[in-house]
Amino acid sequence: MTIRQLSPETINRIAAGEVVERPASVVKELVENAIDAGARDIDVVTAGGGLSLIRVADDGHGMGPTDLALAVERHATSKLTDDDLFDIRTLGFRGEALPSIGSIALLTIQSRAHGTPEAHEITVARGAKSALKPTALNRGTCIEVRELFSATPARLKFMKSERAENQATTEVVRRLAMANPQVGFSLTTGERASLRLPQAPPGTDGHLARLGRIMGADFMADALHLSGEREGVRVTGFAGLPTLNRPDTAMQFLFVNGRPVRDKLLVGAVRAAYGDLIPKGRHPLLALFVDVDPPEVDVNVHPAKVEVRFRDAARVRSLIIGGLRGALDQAGHRASASGGAATLAAFAAVTGVQGASGSASSAQAWSHSNSQSWRPSRPVHAPTGFAEAMQAPLTGSFAGFDATSADTSPIAHAPAPDLLDRPLGAARAQVHATYIVAQTQNSVVIVDQHAAHERLVYERFKAMLATGSVTRQGLLIPEIVEVGEAEAEVLADHSMDLAELGLALEPFGTGAVAVREVPALLGDTDIQGLVHDLAADLLHEGASKRLRDRLEAVCSTMACHGSVRAGRRLTGPEMNALLREMEATPNSGQCNHGRPTWVELKLTDIERLFGRR
Amino acid sequence: MRLVIERGELLRALGHVTSVVERRTTIPILSNVMLKTAGASVEFKATDLEREVIEQANAEVTQPGAVTVPAHMLHDIVRKLPDGAQVELKREPDKDRLTLTSGTSRFALQALSAEDFPDLSPGEMTHSFEIGASELKRLIDKTRFAISTEETRYYLNGIYLHTAGHALRAVATDGHRLAQVEFEMPAGADGMPGIIVPRKTVNELHRLLEDTGASVQVGVSKAKVRFEIGTVTLTSKLIDGSFPDYDRVIPKNNDKELHVSNAAFKSAVDRVSTIASERGRAVKLALDADKLTLSVNNPEGGSATEEIDVGYKAAAMEIGFNARYLLDIAGQLESDDVVFKLADSGSPTVVRDSADATALYVLMPMRV
Ligand SMILES: Nc1ncnc2c1ncn2[C@@H]1O[C@H](COP(=O)(O)OP(=O)(O)OP(=O)(O)O)[C@@H](O)[C@H]1O
Ligand SMILES: [Mg+2]
Repeated sequence: MTIRQLSPETINRIAAGEVVERPASVVKELVENAIDAGARDIDVVTAGGGLSLIRVADDGHGMGPTDLALAVERHATSKLTDDDLFDIRTLGFRGEALPSIGSIALLTIQSRAHGTPEAHEITVARGAKSALKPTALNRGTCIEVRELFSATPARLKFMKSERAENQATTEVVRRLAMANPQVGFSLTTGERASLRLPQAPPGTDGHLARLGRIMGADFMADALHLSGEREGVRVTGFAGLPTLNRPDTAMQFLFVNGRPVRDKLLVGAVRAAYGDLIPKGRHPLLALFVDVDPPEVDVNVHPAKVEVRFRDAARVRSLIIGGLRGALDQAGHRASASGGAATLAAFAAVTGVQGASGSASSAQAWSHSNSQSWRPSRPVHAPTGFAEAMQAPLTGSFAGFDATSADTSPIAHAPAPDLLDRPLGAARAQVHATYIVAQTQNSVVIVDQHAAHERLVYERFKAMLATGSVTRQGLLIPEIVEVGEAEAEVLADHSMDLAELGLALEPFGTGAVAVREVPALLGDTDIQGLVHDLAADLLHEGASKRLRDRLEAVCSTMACHGSVRAGRRLTGPEMNALLREMEATPNSGQCNHGRPTWVELKLTDIERLFGRR
Repeated sequence: MRLVIERGELLRALGHVTSVVERRTTIPILSNVMLKTAGASVEFKATDLEREVIEQANAEVTQPGAVTVPAHMLHDIVRKLPDGAQVELKREPDKDRLTLTSGTSRFALQALSAEDFPDLSPGEMTHSFEIGASELKRLIDKTRFAISTEETRYYLNGIYLHTAGHALRAVATDGHRLAQVEFEMPAGADGMPGIIVPRKTVNELHRLLEDTGASVQVGVSKAKVRFEIGTVTLTSKLIDGSFPDYDRVIPKNNDKELHVSNAAFKSAVDRVSTIASERGRAVKLALDADKLTLSVNNPEGGSATEEIDVGYKAAAMEIGFNARYLLDIAGQLESDDVVFKLADSGSPTVVRDSADATALYVLMPMRV
């Protein structure tokens, strides 16, 4: 065997193998180039899943004839200034994409440099470069790639279905579109117009509008804006309310200096920030944009640039967590706006009110007014005199409450005006022994008593845990719980943690535990059920989860057991006390399972339902 | 069926029976009360399938018969009739209505056939005895606060009534505290099975006892209990389960004795526990020579302390209890000399009136 120098074509094809994995990679390189060229509108067309045709046309600054000839040369780039790989401000920097593509397909580039009268065209046919020739083009650049992988048949074998390739292409364009709201995008795959995204106006609203087009209208209604900066790292973006969640992380996007990346850092940071606000196995929706000084991040760690390496990952992580927590705390007990919208939509469906558009816009009005009036969710303690005011009108009215129908427990007297001013208003009735109906100055609030109470108990647990003062009530007769061997073992392994949460237990023979003390907070509770649930939690969480997460899972299970069940009759003072506590408790807008704990119907929305507006 | 009855008589009977009728039930006839003539009187009967209450009332019966009508509605109507009014109840044969006429008022109530009305069929009572109404009432008063409301431990959802030596004893516990009251065994109770009387029955019974000073005839079998209180009979199914061996958990050797006036203790606990806004907080009892310091520390709310003079000679110690449990027990004690018998901060404590050996309470401490 002899060693020989590889031909330039071979080198390009090897590079292409890294850069161009599938048609979507070509689209990515070409659209990135267009963005780098300052395009305001980018039009992408593919056919045959991208194998027979990919065409990307832009209205960017274009190239003159000399640049055009150079562009298809390997390692020719206009973007890397002073050869400083640590100061990359564009999406491209290697000068590798076009020659790579040219080596494995039929590549045609037409381009007209901004402000010049003529356009030129160059073709590269599987590595063979043609001469430049004049062509007709109004502005920008138009690049066409045909017969992709015709020079590397092995690749062709690995192509997925046309649909799968189209999907991958759409995904690529979407991600780039999310980071570049001011650029208009259109994508046509085969016969289908897959994406039509007009240029969004500058500013936060414009950006959210673009994200909404991609992540869904729910996200737009339920997104919290965040923005934070520290020591040269800036995190901006939008995070969905915890009540808006899904079973996978597909709607979590991270961009670093405008570059869509996949990074485990995001997953971890999001989990840490949302923590217990979101149920197990569910994930929030969000799009975060990290901007750092280019020297702070290495984007040259992956051929397709989908991974990056931060110089100080911990700082980025903590900034993301801090930003998310801040936004979530601000949102406080604000529940999902889509809850209200859905309620209205349901009403509309029944009453036959002209529905769709009306309820969509009311959803926005709802979330808007909500986000403005809901700021102070931190425990503001009731002003003096409040307690008296709360009791005065109610205790009296409950004497005659016996005579009313069993299904509704109304509070007859007019509520105290100062209760009406509170965010969750004055309790007016309990219906179906499950929901509290309350009235504010300009809306009706419906609270799911079990969900709400569960959250409150849970937050109390956490507070007690934080102050290290969880009290345990001793049992006169230890409760023996038969759980099975694996469960008994995992419970015994965690007996220290559990004791910290107020549950003292010890092994009792094989497959059973004896409970000696229970969290006092739970009162007279179903110990058997609690221990079984905890064992299941602990078994499934396994050892991989951090202690804190495990404790929170335990808290949440305990809270569920300690809460007012649906179906329990509440008195007026009890209902009002629950509402007040919700107002004073951060994160009381959803229960531990991520469902909203209350919804609000604005009077204006109700009026709309009845056609009064 | 046709009869005339005085409004007061009717109201009393309905007042006794309707409270067992559940307001929400999926079986329509269970919302009804049954009226059945028996000679010169009429029998009222209501049930929730677990228990039934029967009451006799005097009436002028002109045509015998039986019928059932919505209990709460009938009760509400009768309540609103003027005092002293005569009420005529009449059911035409083959009509599913009962007409009620009184003065110028006339009502027609939807009736259901009395044949379909469930019967609890009390069966044979194996033991029966007589007991003073006030004694029975005291027994309930002193124990029912400790009944567990947790449905999974159904066997604790009632009062355990049984014989112990020469006494008839009632015990209730929710696993956190226990209440035990006893009195001399009445004739006929000897050898009766231990029974668990469900909470709702206990509450019904307590209500019925309020109107009477006489004695109560109690019948007991393995599955049922019956109380005859004047003209009212309450029959109830029992909780089918075994009450735990509670005697084991009553400490016998607690040697640290605390003597305190109940009034002083109760009001001190009441005051300091204001800070313990929720059920997870403990009242700490610090004991020293003839001094008791009660304190509550709530990291989110604040703290409170109060000192009271007591009789205490043993070694200094501290112990915490759920504020509500302490208040519940204090509510049952009467004397100026309440005794706490303690062992240590993790063990059950016994509380009782020093003058009264028949009632005793056990309280499990709380720990931080
Ligand atoms: N749509 C376009 N409009 C204007 N100039 C372009 C366009 N596409 C490519 N170019 C020019 O061609 C050069 C080569 O592009 P190519 O994509 O091969 O390399 P790059 O973008 O510099 O780096 P990378 O390989 O990292 O993408 C670019 O540096 C740019 O100057
Ligand atoms: Mg490029």
